[in-house]
Amino acid sequence: MTAPQIETLTPETATLSLSLDMDLYPRDVLYAAAYVFIDRAYVLLDQIVPRFIVHFRGKDTLNEAALRALAGEFENELLAQALRHRVVNANQRIIEAITSLAIAGAAGPSELDPISEGAERDSALIDMRDPGDDGFLNDPLGVAVPWEPTKKET
Amino acid sequence: MRHTDSATVKLHHALYAQEAIAAAADTFADFASFAVRRDGDHYVVEVTDITSAVEGDVVAEFCNFALANTATLRKGSDA
Repeated sequence: MTAPQIETLTPETATLSLSLDMDLYPRDVLYAAAYVFIDRAYVLLDQIVPRFIVHFRGKDTLNEAALRALAGEFENELLAQALRHRVVNANQRIIEAITSLAIAGAAGPSELDPISEGAERDSALIDMRDPGDDGFLNDPLGVAVPWEPTKKET
Repeated sequence: MRHTDSATVKLHHALYAQEAIAAAADTFADFASFAVRRDGDHYVVEVTDITSAVEGDVVAEFCNFALANTATLRKGSDA
């Protein structure tokens, strides 16, 4: 049995126990999914190799349907977190590179490094000291002129 | 402050970090006394002097905090 399985379900005490295959769900996925539920249930984790055991007790009263819904939501959350875990692992290097660039960009150019400052100026898309040459202030079609009622006939 | 109940909680050592349990015990120190010891695969937490003057389940909230702290610690150590 690899799918999550309801081991016990007791509406009188609003408790539910699920078991999960340890090979199927990494521990980090289990933590992440359990974390989502701690605002509405008391969650206790245990393990009996080869399965994790997850005990829930609702903070409010829960009938059987609500407990089964809770189990289903937890299984969905496990899948969502497993996918998230996989995507993060697959893109770890890209995430690190983007984060490094963002931090470096936020720090701004180094004042002690005139070479890199010059390189940055050369690579700028628009020369702010001479914007006309780059064309962004040229307006051959007159679309940049604000519309006014007095110019209605023209 | 009224003190009444006591309870024992077993937390699997592979799933709960000891420092996370200690941090949770610190958080709830005003509401109960906590003694943690290792027994085989589990940390056994003896919770005594649980105050009845507070609304809610102190022991269960303690377990949630221990879980949340462990998850946070693991996330931090992976980063």
